[in-house]
This record gives sequence, C-alpha cells and structure tokens, in this order.
Amino acid sequence: MAARIGYPVWLGMGDAKMDGSWITSAGIDIGTSTTKLIVSRLKLVRTSSALSLPRYEIAERELMYASPIHATPLTGADQIDADRVWAIVSGELDKAEVGKGDLKSGAVIITGETATKTNARAIVHRLADRAGDFVVAAAGADLEAYLAGKGAGADRRSLRIRGAVVNIDIGGGTANAAIFRRGKLIGTITFHIGGRLIQLDETGMIRYVAPSIRTWLGANGYRIEAGIVVAFSMIKDICYALSREMLRYFIGGNVALTDWHRNNNGLIAGQSLEQVPEIEEWMVSGGIGKLIQERAAPANLAEMAIHHDIGPLLASALRDCMQASSLRVVDADETVRATVIGAGMQSMEIGGATVHLDPKLLPIRNLPVLKLELSAANEGREEVVRLEAVRLEAELEDTLRTAFNLFDPEAVPPFALAITGTRTMNYAFLQHLADRLESRFTHYFPRSGIMVVVCERDIAQALGQALQRRCEKRLKVICIDQIRVEHGDYIDLGEPVSGMMIPVVVKTLAFPNGAR
Amino acid sequence: MNPSLELEQFVDRVMVELERKFGSDTLTDDPKSESVSMEVKGAVSANASTLTTIKVPKPKWQEGLAELIESTPARIGVWRTGTRPLTKEMLKFRCDHAAAIDSIYGEVNEQILSRFDLFTVETRYGNTENYLKRPDMGRIVTAAGEELIRVKCRSHPQVQVVVSDGLSANAIDANLPDVYPSLLDSLEAYGLRAGTPFFVRGGRVAVMDHIGELLEPDVLVLLIGERPGLVSSRSMSAYLCYRPRKGTVESDRTVISNIHPGGTPPVEAGAYIGTLVHKMLEQKTSGIHLDL
Repeated sequence: MAARIGYPVWLGMGDAKMDGSWITSAGIDIGTSTTKLIVSRLKLVRTSSALSLPRYEIAERELMYASPIHATPLTGADQIDADRVWAIVSGELDKAEVGKGDLKSGAVIITGETATKTNARAIVHRLADRAGDFVVAAAGADLEAYLAGKGAGADRRSLRIRGAVVNIDIGGGTANAAIFRRGKLIGTITFHIGGRLIQLDETGMIRYVAPSIRTWLGANGYRIEAGIVVAFSMIKDICYALSREMLRYFIGGNVALTDWHRNNNGLIAGQSLEQVPEIEEWMVSGGIGKLIQERAAPANLAEMAIHHDIGPLLASALRDCMQASSLRVVDADETVRATVIGAGMQSMEIGGATVHLDPKLLPIRNLPVLKLELSAANEGREEVVRLEAVRLEAELEDTLRTAFNLFDPEAVPPFALAITGTRTMNYAFLQHLADRLESRFTHYFPRSGIMVVVCERDIAQALGQALQRRCEKRLKVICIDQIRVEHGDYIDLGEPVSGMMIPVVVKTLAFPNGAR
Repeated sequence: MNPSLELEQFVDRVMVELERKFGSDTLTDDPKSESVSMEVKGAVSANASTLTTIKVPKPKWQEGLAELIESTPARIGVWRTGTRPLTKEMLKFRCDHAAAIDSIYGEVNEQILSRFDLFTVETRYGNTENYLKRPDMGRIVTAAGEELIRVKCRSHPQVQVVVSDGLSANAIDANLPDVYPSLLDSLEAYGLRAGTPFFVRGGRVAVMDHIGELLEPDVLVLLIGERPGLVSSRSMSAYLCYRPRKGTVESDRTVISNIHPGGTPPVEAGAYIGTLVHKMLEQKTSGIHLDL
C-alpha cells in the first residue's frame, strides 16, 4: 500500500484534495422478510505522494443514517412489490435528508429467496428515475456472505490477528459464512440453517418445516412435520445439533470433513469448501447474531415462540456451542444490518487516477467481464520474440471470439476486457497489444462504438491513448486500472468524482476455491 | 552490450550459485515446511505470493513476515550469521552500491540518443568529479551549446522536451525508450506541439532556467537521471515548469519522481506527464500553484 511519505511542504502541491472529499452512498437490502436502508459518507483521499502518479482511496466510511427494519412488501410468495419497496426507500431517504443530487453511489442488494432476476428487474424499472445513483444486484449466497462479513467487521478484525476469522450471518433461511484472513476473503460457504426454518406456536404445534432442512432432519431421526405437536426438549435437541454440526464443519480439521459430509447430507447449500482453513475466531451477524448479543436463553416453548419460530432457541444454542468450542468468540460490529452496511459502505472501490475516458460516457452499469491473462514474456532472440507475437495474436483472437459468442455484439459497450498477468508492459509491447486488440475488436464488434478495458496494473492512460490513436473517431475507448476483476464478474463504472476518480463496484466475486 | 549490464548479469549468476550452495527457503515451494497452516494457505488462497523469499530460517509468523517484506524494497528480514550479515546479502549490498556508483560515472548510450533524434549539448560541468563538487556549473549550458541550441531548435515552442543524464546515465538508458514516446503520444492526443528535443550532458535540474531563457517555451519538460540509491540506480525524474526563466524558484517546478519499472511505471508516467503539461498550459502555472 502506498504510504504518504513526509515530503517537504513546498513539494506538496498543496491542493484541497489532500484533505479529501466526501461522497454520499446509500445501501438498501431487500430480503425475504425484511428491508432496510443505510446512508453513509465515504471520504476519498489522495494516498500517493505529490511526486508520484495520483492515487486515491476511500479512507473513511461513516454511517450517517440507519433506517428501522421494515417488513418486505410482497405480492406473492417471493415476488417483491416494487412500488411499495420504493415508497419505503424514498420515505427513508427523505428522513435521512438526502436530496436528489446528493447520492453519488449506492447499492441495492436483493437477498435470500427474493434474489431473483425478475425481482431485480422490477426494482431497476422502479428506480428508473434514480438509476444513475444505484447499483442493483441480486446477491448470490457468496456475495451476501462477503458483504455481511465486511459489514460485521470480520475483514478488519482479521488484520489484527494471525489466524482466520469466520463471520456467520444467520437470518431466517440460511447461514452465510465468510472466512477472512489478513483482510482478504478466502472462502464462503452457506448452510441451510436459520431461525425460521421451523415455525411453531406456544403450544409446540408445528406450523411449517422448510423443505431445505427436511433431508437433514430425517437423516438424523427427527420426525417432525406441520400439524404435529412437539416437546420443547426435542426442538432444543435440534437447535443444539444444528449449531454443533455447523461449528464442527469449521473446527473438525480437513480429515474429518468427509465424515462430516456423510453425517450431514443436505445441510450445505451449494458447494463445500475444498479445505477448511485454520480458524482462530468467530462472530455471528444477522438476526440470530442480534439475538445472541441481546437475549437470554428461552426456558420454555412460550419464551421461545415469541415470533412463532425457533430463532431465540437457535441463538442460545449457538452461543453455548461457540463458548464450549476451542475458538475465540467475538461480537460482530453489526448484526441485523451487517449486509446492508456491507453493501452501502464497503462495496465501492476507487480505480487508478490516471485513466483514459470521456466522462460523458459514464456511468456504465452491469458490464460483464472477460479476462485476458498475459503471461511473462520469454524475451530474447528474434525467433522467440516472433513466437511471442504469434502467441499474443492467438490469445487475443480466442478471447475476442469467446466474447463474440457470449455477449450481444450490438450492445454499447458489449463487455469489459480485463487485462491481467505478469507481462512487462513496455512501450513497444503496449503498442503491439493496442494494435492487435483494436484489429480483433473491430473485427468482431464493428458496430460497438465503445471499448472498455480494465487493467490490473497502472497502465490505463498509456494503453488507452495507444488504443484511441488507432480507433480514431470510430470507437471511444474507456481504459481504467488498479481494479481486480475475474471472469464472470459484472462491474459498474460510476461518474467521475472530482475529476478523475472513478468509483467502481465489482458485483460478483472471485472465490479462491471456485465455489460460486 | 553495456558493460554495467554485463557486470550485473555476472553478479546475478554468482547469486544463483550461492543460492544453490547455501539453500534458501521460499514461501510456497519449501518441502520442509512443517507448518500446517502453510499447507492450508497453498490450497485455499490461490494468489499466494510465489516471489517473496523468506531468509529467516524459522520465523515465528511466516505470513506476517512475508507481508512486511512485500511492503517495502528495503533490506528487512535478511537474517544474519552470528552478529554479521550473510555473505550473499553483503555481496548483494556491495553490488547495488557499485551499480549506484557506476550510474554516476556512466555515459548515456549514443544509440538511444540517435534513435530519438536528440543532439547533444554540454553544461560547464567539465568532468564528473567537478560535476559533483560544483552543482552550479551543471546549471549553465556552454557557449558552444547555446549556439547549437539557437541554430537547431525552434524558438518559442509550446512544449520543450529536454533529456539529461544528471546523476544516473543508466536511468536514461533504462527508461527513456518507454517514457519519451509515451509522452509524445500523450502530447499529440492533447493536440500540443513539441519543439526540437535535445540531450544535455552533465545537467542539473535548474538548467531548465537557462534553456528557458534561450528558447522561451511555454512548458519545459526535463527528463533527468536521479541520484542513484541502493534500491534502484536507474530511477528517473520528470521536472516540469511553466515558462522557466532565470530566477525561477523551486516551488514553481512540478516533479514526478521514482520512474523505473519497480517504481512509478515508465509508460504510464509518460502519458501522465502529457496531462500535467496540458493542465499547466490551461492554468498558466506550475509547481505548488497548479491545481490537479
């Protein structure tokens, strides 16, 4: 990380940006049962010295307003009522005293069972007049786990200790766990464990058992279904067993993992981790996290069934199991609002400040990413150099053909090309790359009008100008850098903030173990 | 081939031999690693660094040490034998020191100068010893040089580019082929016109003022070799000034420093210098008065 070195004041080019500029960002989480909103301020500060290329980062994130928790208005089982959601959101934005032009960035995350494309489309449609302000994403379990982990502070906590920190965000239907080490996400996993999977009343009469947990219940000898009456002790057994098994997944060690899967068929949603890293601490966020921090253990059915579900009992069982385990338990910074805070305050990055673009073309939303990895060159004799050129040509041809098959060639722009890899980028190579890229892009996307390139390393302005020279007026080039993206990601490029700072939101994430 | 490059390759070969002889534990492919957490790291985290070499034999916290070493080019975590540094570390240190000295006494490759059509003038530095003792003499172009500049260069250019060896000829050899053409492209993209470029042997930063008097450019860009250090002997700076003249103060100059492949990326630096020139012409100022 670039540190600001104490250069003499007379070299400091004392501009106001050294003190940073603030932008307002909103986060909205629309879940199966609840909807919430937060408004935050993000401070952008120049982090590079006055003698280096400019580089800005988000230095401070400040929560300004958190809405009460609203019930999500639905029109069917999992159909969001977009009009009523918008009424809630605009009401809350008014209460937060956020004017129409104040929002510079924002994320709407649709989570849980409502995270469908239809719902996302409905929300986008309803937000049409404010579409410039918001990113809308139907979050998969991985993104939800990651945002909740960020909101709960697990990433920051992991920077203070040696081992990994797991944050488990448990709501009504699923437990989304994200593991962080040294500030970085190293894996996510989702369990079918939640407070509303079994619903019952004060008498012990079962009202509902979620299909997602029936396999596990059956395999473990718990025969319950809607309509029957059960004893408090049986529900208690189930909650303890679920808590114990979930925790055992993380601390059993990799040898025990096969064993674990045999005993807990159906408990994991999606893919398991290939290996579980060594974990030092855990924290719990979400509705269950709040209950863990705030409520005593229920002693009977009446105390448990205040919301007609097993939530309070699951929370106290999990608390007991965590305290009995060998790992340290830490409180999450945020519980019920972890995901929305993660979405509103943590989802945005700032790209490099030396870029090539026309601000009039921004914002650009939902751009799919295709990656081109340039491996280190074998520099040397002439024939080696010639072979390198042939290889680059083939790689570019492959990538652009893939793009042509995947994306709409009429879209403007059709996709973002992410250039990564260890290849040294000298002037000669950059010219050659620009040459070939322009030729292949024009061949496959002759009517595209805009080409978007995202580089990992700091070369955007140079590559951008090299491309623009070749494209002349036919094609506008947007080239940004210092953003890491992967195949299958979607990115949003916001409008530039005070000049050349481009807010970027990377929407799906790269998971090291390939679990998506 | 450049003799200093040959020397460096030779030293690299010696280093490789030494590595082989004494062994060196690297983070990712150390078969002796007993730490379970390291095995997990390799499996879970795909982007584990393959480059960081840990020289401390049994670090208490390998990952933390690797983080520190990656955060700086300084010589930290280099280990020791008794109270002394290891032989290979000592050799590496002396090699870097020798490279720094070579940079000061070296000459810029003539082929590079002719490739970019740079003719050469000299300052009144005389010789390297005197250059080091008398910075003031590196700020004035010789009478013959003045004459050559008057004859060859277009007067009153919008942008005047000047290249100088300064304290590191190596810096020019290593970075000019990336920075200079990228800068020209950037100027062209902004629709700016550059004057006739040339090379100044034995120049100091403030030679800008003398050249400014001679040619009266709107903006002068000086690409000059930096004082070599132990991290890099090939680091270049770009000094920019709006209408430099006799008596210009240092705070009126804008600088982008540490340009080399391990620091400020040369190609991107070239493109960004164009942006700075554009801003200077727009705001008619430079240095601390320039609003970025």
